[in-house]
Amino acid sequence: MANLNIDSIKERTFDAIVIGSGMSGGWAAKEFTGKGLKALVLERGRDVKHLKDYPTTNLYPWEFPHHGVVPDAVQKANPIVNRCYAFGEDAMHFFVKDAEHPYVQEKPFDWIRGYQTGGKSLLWARQTQRWSDFDFEGPERDGFAVDWPIRYADIAPWYSYVEKFAGISGNRDGLAELPDGEFLPAFPLNAVETYFSNHLKKNYKGRHVISARCAHLSKPNQIHLDQGRGQCQERTLCQRGCPFGGYFSANSSTIPWALKTGLCTLRPHSVVESIIYDDKKGKATGVRVIDAQTKEAIEYYAPVIFVNAAALNSNLILLNSRSSRFPNGLGNDSGTLGKYVAFHNYSAHINAEYDGAKEWTTDGRNPAGGGYIPRFRNLHKQETNYLRGYAAGLYAYRGRMQSGEGIGEDLKKNLVNKELGGWQVGSHMMGETIPKESNYVALDKSLKDPWGIPQLKISVDYDDNDEKMKKDYIEQMTEMFTSAGFKNIRPGTDHRAPGLDIHEMGGVRMGKDPKTSMLDKWHRLHACPNVYVTDGASMTSTSCQNPSLTYMAFTARAVDHAVGEMKKGNLS
Amino acid sequence: MNRRAAIRNMALILGGAIVLPSCLHDDKGKAIVELERLKIDAEQEKLVNSLTQTILPKTDTPGAAELGINLFVFKMMDDCASKEQQADFITGLKTFADEAKNQMNKAFADGTDQERTAFVQSVEKQSTDKNFKDDGKLMAFYQMVKGQTIFGYTTSKFFMTKQVVYELVPGRYNAMYPASKATA
Repeated sequence: MANLNIDSIKERTFDAIVIGSGMSGGWAAKEFTGKGLKALVLERGRDVKHLKDYPTTNLYPWEFPHHGVVPDAVQKANPIVNRCYAFGEDAMHFFVKDAEHPYVQEKPFDWIRGYQTGGKSLLWARQTQRWSDFDFEGPERDGFAVDWPIRYADIAPWYSYVEKFAGISGNRDGLAELPDGEFLPAFPLNAVETYFSNHLKKNYKGRHVISARCAHLSKPNQIHLDQGRGQCQERTLCQRGCPFGGYFSANSSTIPWALKTGLCTLRPHSVVESIIYDDKKGKATGVRVIDAQTKEAIEYYAPVIFVNAAALNSNLILLNSRSSRFPNGLGNDSGTLGKYVAFHNYSAHINAEYDGAKEWTTDGRNPAGGGYIPRFRNLHKQETNYLRGYAAGLYAYRGRMQSGEGIGEDLKKNLVNKELGGWQVGSHMMGETIPKESNYVALDKSLKDPWGIPQLKISVDYDDNDEKMKKDYIEQMTEMFTSAGFKNIRPGTDHRAPGLDIHEMGGVRMGKDPKTSMLDKWHRLHACPNVYVTDGASMTSTSCQNPSLTYMAFTARAVDHAVGEMKKGNLS
Repeated sequence: MNRRAAIRNMALILGGAIVLPSCLHDDKGKAIVELERLKIDAEQEKLVNSLTQTILPKTDTPGAAELGINLFVFKMMDDCASKEQQADFITGLKTFADEAKNQMNKAFADGTDQERTAFVQSVEKQSTDKNFKDDGKLMAFYQMVKGQTIFGYTTSKFFMTKQVVYELVPGRYNAMYPASKATA
């Protein structure tokens, strides 16, 4: 019996445990196993294998029972996830339904989740811009949050490292605020996007429209072919999972790469209840898992643990990892755990029309989505009545003059009208928000989820800074659209709850001082340095770039550090 | 409505085997189409079928009946419409039937092509009238049927392969494409 136990413990012991198999967890799995270490990857959802588990990927619109529309019963049962733009009949099986994992909204928060191998990396919008020192120096310069313990120089080589493997398309635009990367060819701007780009270049110093940089294989390199991935075929049906592996997802890239080493054990249906802290050893020794199907508790052990459960679930796990040493959550000596949560403000947009460029249109579809306007507000110095700034999408398209007017023969003719309409132009705001102590997540005192874990209580809201920034976005875009000669300019705002941006960040922030932050410059818990957090939870500030690329780079860098520590014997 | 039932219903209707309701004593009869949330009788079913065919008749290309668009409309109204929309649909359907009877002196479905077209044209005209008060939900009903007919048609295999071709795998993005080529 004793031997059996020892064997059993041995079987449950690994060199590293990675909690989560998504955007950042996939990278941790790849890096650990690539360096010859045995990694256990815990995924709370089901296994979704590349190609095999994309049931809708090759369906035509008419092959869906409702031609893509989500049935009313599903909509009514899922008011939260139904608000996500990608929650359609073709991809709804990849989203967590509202009832499946309840949480408490102290203030409205749309928590959009993907519980499966690959997590939300299957579903993301694939925009990948680097941060610069304008971003990392933000909190210190503008006096909010705490200073980042790292700068661009620390992360730049790791951006390069992950970009080469993931495959990022883009142009070398030479902008200090949006550093160039290791790019595959960009998806070019169309006639009106180019027109607007030139208009800004001529008339607005420091404002640019560039081809959106995105994680698509516009022209695969050998390293991508080695992953079994091929060239992007411009389907723009990415949320179904790509049969070509044309965009980066953990499913198509990092996870199969890790599994191929033979050193990776992927365990689906594994809800991490907590990280086990050994008071005597003064470190974390493993994790306690609840099997999502059997509800059985199982423990796994490793000298190093990576927390990549996605921002808010990483918070939840640490908050629920209580011990006599850490009664308020693992590593929470500073009392900042769960606090300073922030997000991106997507609540404004603008649409217009353009009469020119009638000789041009587009053919095929653009997976990059069009252009990207890097942040130009408060970049070099404070110049507005609010802090920080926003990036913006910028896209133009022409549709057919299809109309549903009339009945009979007339209607049929109107529906096949191939004549082109004028150009439609659109933009949406992506604003930085300021992390505040009052925007927090915490464990609910009484409510539990189906696995017996306290429900997460979320209390996150916009503030005055966000409102002012939104107003400025509308003003600046309206002015630029007007001077460009765009017509029928229609700015709009919505009252979406935070969370729908799916860029929730923070709660386990990095910082130099253990008294005011959770993680050091290597993403280790100050107070429990064999636990690393490298997903959105670790973000000290949010900047306005889409964050996934930064999580990938953070993770690869942190694993490199962890393995270095192991080799030095610091983690045994 | 489940997919299997839809297929079976489509086979029935396409096969012209609409002789079943004779065994029913209810004077209005039971609808053939199997719906879960939307309650309609055989007469109402006939009206909607007939309306989709009037909106989208067979010409030199297939119409609503040939493409089973009527079944798609029922499916969408049954599965995807909200309770409120379904209530409006039923109310408007009754108003539509009454108005048609007034104007045509017979049930809408019993009208000739010309009679039905004339009535629907008059409804179309009202739909552009800003002062029209849709108290009987006639317009709400009509627009739901027309909207779903158009949606079902433009996303049908026929339309997407023969009329305006939908490419599942474009394999290209030409950012600068001559407009003259696109309309050719």
